[in-house]
Amino acid sequence: MSVKNNFKIGLSIRNLIIFATLFLCINNISAAEGGSCKDYGECDEFKYSLNDMASLQRGASTFLNYCYGCHSLQYSRWGRVATDLQIPEELFFENLVFDKSIKPGDLMTGSMSKEKSAQWFGVAPPDLTLVSRVRGDDWIYSYLRAYYEDSSKQYGVNNLVYPGTAMPNVLLALQGNQKLVCKDIPIIANNGGEKRDELGNTITKEKCGYLKVEEGSGKLTKDEFDELIYDLTNFLVYVGEPAKATRERIGWYVIFYFLIFTALSALLYREYHKDYH
Amino acid sequence: MSEMVGKLFGWVNRRLPIANTFERHLSKHPVPSKVNFWYLFGALASVVLIIQIVSGIWLIMPYSNTEEEAFSSIEYIMRDVDYGWVIRYMHTTGASMFFAVVYLHMFRGLLYGSYQKPKELVWIFGCAIYLAMMAEGFLGYVLPYGQMSYWGAQVIISLFGAIPYIGESLELWVRGDYYISGITVSRFFALHVVALPLVLIALVFLHLVALHEVGAGNPEGVDIEEYLDDDGVPLDSVPFFPYKVLNALVGIGVFMTVFAIIMFFFPEGGGYFIEMANFEEANPLVTPEHIAPVWYYSPYYAMLRAVPDKLGGLIVMGSAVAILFVVPWLDRSKVASIRYKGIYSKVALAFFGISFLTLGYLGTVGVTEVRKTMSVICTAIYFAFFLLMPFYTKYEKTKEVPKRL
Repeated sequence: MSVKNNFKIGLSIRNLIIFATLFLCINNISAAEGGSCKDYGECDEFKYSLNDMASLQRGASTFLNYCYGCHSLQYSRWGRVATDLQIPEELFFENLVFDKSIKPGDLMTGSMSKEKSAQWFGVAPPDLTLVSRVRGDDWIYSYLRAYYEDSSKQYGVNNLVYPGTAMPNVLLALQGNQKLVCKDIPIIANNGGEKRDELGNTITKEKCGYLKVEEGSGKLTKDEFDELIYDLTNFLVYVGEPAKATRERIGWYVIFYFLIFTALSALLYREYHKDYH
Repeated sequence: MSEMVGKLFGWVNRRLPIANTFERHLSKHPVPSKVNFWYLFGALASVVLIIQIVSGIWLIMPYSNTEEEAFSSIEYIMRDVDYGWVIRYMHTTGASMFFAVVYLHMFRGLLYGSYQKPKELVWIFGCAIYLAMMAEGFLGYVLPYGQMSYWGAQVIISLFGAIPYIGESLELWVRGDYYISGITVSRFFALHVVALPLVLIALVFLHLVALHEVGAGNPEGVDIEEYLDDDGVPLDSVPFFPYKVLNALVGIGVFMTVFAIIMFFFPEGGGYFIEMANFEEANPLVTPEHIAPVWYYSPYYAMLRAVPDKLGGLIVMGSAVAILFVVPWLDRSKVASIRYKGIYSKVALAFFGISFLTLGYLGTVGVTEVRKTMSVICTAIYFAFFLLMPFYTKYEKTKEVPKRL
């Protein structure tokens, strides 16, 4: 019996090794792909917090003030946003809804005609209801912070995450003038440390493509601006799937239920199993 | 009162074989007393089938099968229908989980020779179910009419065009239009919600009837019918109820926990269950950067791409599924279970498993030279596993199978 058991364990370890090797191979193959945020490299990580109502409310306010002029949220309804974000309907309609004929049940279909905007911008600004699900929240969070001055472009700006983007930097007044700069960075030696010359000074080389905001050119500091974009992205994550917070809350109960279910049926099974073993 | 119920039951039973059928196929149906977790996936597959049918019925109610409204009706379900998101995620997660349990169920078949005489028909009906599921899954994926629905359908339907002579007409006939349009969506809808579910249910019925005729297998490959008690019941068997039911219930509990974790916390499955590009409405003018099928088709997609010629690819892909049907006649081994087969069978099955998983991965990523070479190698291993089976199963040294479980 024990011999057989050993054999089984041996088999599973062997399987494990096979799978591990396979996994490593696959990882090596996939590592060849570039960063998901184009010239920006890897996107900055974004962690949503859909229970932070203040953040969602600030995000909604930023969206409706700065983005909604061009971008619709055509699958979302005004009243639903107010309810979900716990904004009293009266306050919401007074301060954030600029067209007074809108009713709570209406869809947020935007305020600009698609034909005209296509003429003005070359492409019609896309609907953003599902942008967080198409692009991912990391992408949005990085994209909105990756504009830089580029006089060769129509609106004087370009974007590292989305090179050649058709959208002007609407938040320029808040962020300030961001430019691509070069920096002296230490050269990393083969042993992992910084390379130094004989006198112990760090050897550096110039590397370009870093984003830097011209000091004092924007209304917000870098941290404040990052927070603004955080809230805005958070709001877009919410709008992409309004039931997400509910889903993750209910999920725990469902899992708990099935764990109890499994435990009880396992106990019952064990009891009946005695009949024939 | 109880007397009346008894009378009524007697009346019905005289005219419809309820008690008999119930006893024969459920309560007293003998199943092997010793099986392992691999034998749970059949039961789990039927659970998912029920989940898919029930959630599907509820999805039909608010869904709109027109070109203009298909995509927005899905968002309507996700937002405006009460708990619509639960139903939709149940269905999308169910689709992936259906394939997951069926793949494991099929692998169990290969592992323990569940196709060997006299189970050939059970296996063949199973393969037919798998084929119907692939069609059902594909048709269903087109219905939300997102970018991947559109372009995935474009790739698959254009495969019909590769067939010589009749290809182009066939393509047009399937599509119902000169390009994928609302007409395609509404016919796929009809096939997805009526035609194929009927086929699937009929096949599942046949699969089970055939299984109950020949009896379920076990990981030892022992024929339990050899030793019977005085009533003709196999000694190494237990009645289906309550033993097998309770066993399955534990499996269902574990499975549903996993199901709930995916459904409530990772419904997109990292872009493998619902692809990100499918949250964008179908746009015939913009091709997505990277068209990839959902994970459960990706091994075949990798095979398709491994062959440079479209018709050749189609033939390879078709053969990969078709060859499953003849497995009962490829295996020449005296024993059923991998436990008693020789080293060649073990190595072959291991290589097969690895190549299938690798193909699955390769089908989801873009093509490079290295990956293409790997696809070719893995496709070759996939076919070698089946085509060489008559030889390695016949000429290897097998161990003796015990008489009893």
